Amino acid sequence: MRRFLSFIFVSLLSSCFIQSTTASADYHEQLVLRPLPLSALLASFNFRSNTTLSAFEAHNFRFFPRSLGQILQHAGTRELHLRFSLGRWDAESWGARPWDGAREGGTGVELWAWLEAETDDEADHKWLTLTNALSGLFCASLNFIDGTRTTRPVMSFQPEGDHPNSTVTNMHLLYGVLPHEVVCTENLTPFLKLLPCKGKAGIASLLDGHKLFDASWQSMAIDVRPVCPADGGECVLEIEQTIDMVLDIERSKRPRGNPIPRPLPGHELHCNSSKPYHAGDTCFPVDSIAHQDWSLSQLFGKTIKGTCPLTDPNTPPVCLQVPDSRAVSISEGAVEKKNGDRVSRCFDIPPEADFELALPRPEAPTSPPAQGESEDGIQLLIEEEVLVKPETPLLYAERSFTGHGQERGGVQTILRNPSPDTAVEFIYMESLPWFMRIYLHTMAARVEGQASHDNPSLIHEVYYRPAVDRARGTQLEVRMRVPPASTVFLTYDFEKSILRYTEYPPDANRGFDVAAAVITILAPGSGSESSESDGAGAGAGAGAGAGAGAGAGGGQQRRFAAAAYSLRTTSLLCSLPTPDFSMPYNVIIFTSTAIALCFGGMFNILVRRFVAADEGPKVGLGPALTKLGARLRPAFERLVRRKGRRGVDGVGGEKDL
Amino acid sequence: MTEPTVVAGAVIASDKSTRKPPPPEKASDVRRRTWVILSFWFIVLCLLPIWWRTTTIYRANLPLDEMLEWADGKACRPVFPLRISIQADALQEQEAQNLLRLTQHALDDLNDFSGHHLRLQLSPPSTVEHQSRDRDDDTALIIRLVPGEFTSSTLDPYAPILDITYPPNTIPSPTSSSSSLAAYVASQLRTTFAEEQAIISYLLSTNSMPTEHRPQGLTPEAAESLSKRTTRSLKYAPTYHLTFSLFTSGPLPSSWDIEAAIDSYMRPVLDVLSPIHNFTIDTQVQLYASPGVQSQILNKEDLSSFVNAAEWPLSPSIGGAPTINFILFVGNQTIGSTAPSSDNPDDATNITTTSSWLLPQWGTVYLLSLPPSSPHVSLATLKQPLLTFTSHLLSLTGTPQSGSLPLRLSTLARIRSADLLLRASSTLGSLARLSLALPSIAIPGSVADGVQKTMAHLRLACETLGGAEGLAHARIAEAEAERAFFEKSMVGQLYFPDEHKIAVYLPLLGPMAVPLAMGLLNIVKEWTKRRREKKERGVEKKNV
Repeated sequence: MRRFLSFIFVSLLSSCFIQSTTASADYHEQLVLRPLPLSALLASFNFRSNTTLSAFEAHNFRFFPRSLGQILQHAGTRELHLRFSLGRWDAESWGARPWDGAREGGTGVELWAWLEAETDDEADHKWLTLTNALSGLFCASLNFIDGTRTTRPVMSFQPEGDHPNSTVTNMHLLYGVLPHEVVCTENLTPFLKLLPCKGKAGIASLLDGHKLFDASWQSMAIDVRPVCPADGGECVLEIEQTIDMVLDIERSKRPRGNPIPRPLPGHELHCNSSKPYHAGDTCFPVDSIAHQDWSLSQLFGKTIKGTCPLTDPNTPPVCLQVPDSRAVSISEGAVEKKNGDRVSRCFDIPPEADFELALPRPEAPTSPPAQGESEDGIQLLIEEEVLVKPETPLLYAERSFTGHGQERGGVQTILRNPSPDTAVEFIYMESLPWFMRIYLHTMAARVEGQASHDNPSLIHEVYYRPAVDRARGTQLEVRMRVPPASTVFLTYDFEKSILRYTEYPPDANRGFDVAAAVITILAPGSGSESSESDGAGAGAGAGAGAGAGAGAGGGQQRRFAAAAYSLRTTSLLCSLPTPDFSMPYNVIIFTSTAIALCFGGMFNILVRRFVAADEGPKVGLGPALTKLGARLRPAFERLVRRKGRRGVDGVGGEKDL
Repeated sequence: MTEPTVVAGAVIASDKSTRKPPPPEKASDVRRRTWVILSFWFIVLCLLPIWWRTTTIYRANLPLDEMLEWADGKACRPVFPLRISIQADALQEQEAQNLLRLTQHALDDLNDFSGHHLRLQLSPPSTVEHQSRDRDDDTALIIRLVPGEFTSSTLDPYAPILDITYPPNTIPSPTSSSSSLAAYVASQLRTTFAEEQAIISYLLSTNSMPTEHRPQGLTPEAAESLSKRTTRSLKYAPTYHLTFSLFTSGPLPSSWDIEAAIDSYMRPVLDVLSPIHNFTIDTQVQLYASPGVQSQILNKEDLSSFVNAAEWPLSPSIGGAPTINFILFVGNQTIGSTAPSSDNPDDATNITTTSSWLLPQWGTVYLLSLPPSSPHVSLATLKQPLLTFTSHLLSLTGTPQSGSLPLRLSTLARIRSADLLLRASSTLGSLARLSLALPSIAIPGSVADGVQKTMAHLRLACETLGGAEGLAHARIAEAEAERAFFEKSMVGQLYFPDEHKIAVYLPLLGPMAVPLAMGLLNIVKEWTKRRREKKERGVEKKNV
């Protein structure tokens, strides 16, 4: 991972350097392809455009999209981060996350922004404007980020941009998340519209909703921040758009017209020949290096249509991270440049021609078996030859529900530090919906294998802002530490509240999504600095509690250095007791029956006269029927008599004729 | 008839024969039962008003009659008194007064529309020009009479001044009752204000003004062209948002000198318009924008679908101001020669030229063809498009087309105030009709408040019509009327119909209402029976 990042950093740095010499390079784009184990491929698209702050304030938009710029100005937004994500990053097999996790969000939509406002109310008002406007721009339900889904994180997020000191004091960080939102093509289209070259030229021409949302994991990110060059030049507003996706190579290669998966023929299977049962008709497939032959047109369904003419000519538009020993075939006119670190290379693309890149199937070296090496050795060798080994992430995290029943539950997060010698210090942030009422006193952390009692050295600081029913959600930020090579369980219990009839969504039985927990790993340097203020910090955190949160936030703005790595857990599905939705009608009918019984009985007792059984009028159907008969009979007889008379009259008339 | 009753009576008698009659009831028991039933009914009757009060929908009192009066144009007769001062420094006071009187007569004879009234006044001879400029607010036009060789008139292009030269012999003598100079001045004035008069009378005629206020002399053709022009112009707003977009079908050009171009070609007009409208401006560059019509030569039908609304990022600005779009499209498409409509020459010259066209209430598209590999649009290239945009902006804001610019703008202010006045009045009328038509709609207090404010401002606007104050009042009145009409909480109650109430109340109250009603019925029966018996007893006594 660090290799990946350093590589990106170097390429960006070089482009930044070049930018200062050529004034027109206000736009960059780059695609980095990295094959991952288990027939997966990470494609990282990165687009960056700049506009000077003066042009931005004069409403002159060239590379910066006008639609977004207008919204930012209207809502007084100084820095904006918007994420649309889908799927799960499989850290166990894919390793560390791209961009060190800085460009991804939890499942659904995540938005955090620094707004310039004098008071909290003004910030809330601007936040409302911002979410509503963005909701229209990105066709997402961002307008549902209301007070119950908005928090003001204190420790987890730090501004990325360079803000002048005069505005920092007035900046309010607001964070909203919509875990239920399904990210889809209608979010990609406005995303592409923000790019200067749209999806018409350059690497963006590869992006297609069918492939992007079919990926195993994808994350679209938009980051807007002011950047001031170190040499004191004019500050620019930078918009960075990132799309990271992990494609399942086998799945993507299926032809669009015939997407039904079919078994491979036997001779194309990669088998693990070390298994004792390996024979001509039995095979244990080697997943990790299978399907490592692909081409851009197979994966994305199209090729790259030249370069975007606005892009910085010094940034190579496509880079590939495979060992240098692998052969790569590219279309004519393109130039391959090896980066010198043996695991990555970049390609320069001719501006007008289509660009195609193909990796042939890796050839198993024929010589080692002849020398009689062990089978495992070959296997290892082949994997090293085919793939760049993914880097181990700093921390593995998974979160799940515990407990049973409709009333109470618990949340357990398993945090595993794979490093053998370094402890990891991080901030664990949850923003929970108000209907999950957590019991803070049950929160405990324990190291696996040790006694289950609370280990005080794990949790350093807790910032907790309790929920208010129907008004705001729970915000929980925990600064904690995981010792080297150990696993920590962080658990707490909660109670499920009962919602009102109208508060249930249409598919209430599906459950309610609980947003992903955000884990921000602090850079090692900042850990020691903050650990000395531990005692005070914990006190302040508890004291800051509910009310003084924002004020404390301002003070804590720069307490932690930028995050070294961040990751999100998966979102959870919390099932609440769901009522029968015909309830109001049942209640009406039930109440009516009860009233009829009580009132009718009481009233009759008060009003009726009680006599002996043989004294009153006869009750039951009999007398009523006789009465009815007596009433009806005269009428009936009259009818019969009249009919008879008319008949006689009629006969008489005929006789007269 | 009598026979069957006898039979029935016999049946009942035979039935009763096996049963004993109940013992006679004590009078106190009867009285107590009556009291029980009556007290239940008493409670019910006491609760009824409470129930009524708590479930009724709040409807604030609206002055419906007055509102309808406004809508019908009975409350205000829009009159635009235009004061025109005559500067005749070369004339004697007496002569000037006489000329003024004669011209006023001639004007009154010519004028057939009472709402638009030109009133002449003599400005003191010593008036210096800058003083008269200070008094722009109440004088619409200044006529400067200068002796000269022959009769002629010119409009000053930068100030509301009409220069008229006259040969000295045309001065009317104090005794004459007619004068050619007076007639000439009157006819000049009339032509100067003809368009304004036509527009205002058109506005009045399209609204529900009573016929006696309506002008007669509006020909159908003139009305049609006016209606075209009014549909083209945007609804009045204090602020307009101008968006200048450079769209190119390919990757080039990607930059333009728009800021400098706006400053040099458009800013002067925007500054002149600033008393009536504010403007905010933004610009953008969009590459790879494919138009909605791909054909090389655009026909008239293609022009309306040229703007690719689905792909071009032309979202209106956020905030209340309406957006006017000015699009400069760089491509090689041209407008076909048949495109300008031949039926309306006015349209052909003003709206559609060979490279640009106006989209009503939306903006303008200008087609610019450039050499294929030019990365930058220079200031000089932008001159023609910007001038076109400027003239279209005037037409989109509804500025009249004839006359000098200052006159056109002062006319615009009067037209806008008339328009706003009529619009606010008709909104009031709609609100009144709505509240009459839907008896179950809730009318919160804020609506009544808004209506009161609207009417107060309308009254003020009506009194000060024609001036800047009138425009301000009309603006407030219109905003308040719209706010009252689109009050959110009025809509909510609409969807709770009476059938639902029955569905809730009937199962709840039915089981209670039946025993109560039966009890009351029994009381009434017994009471009548007792009265009859008493009567019979009384008759028997008398007989005895």
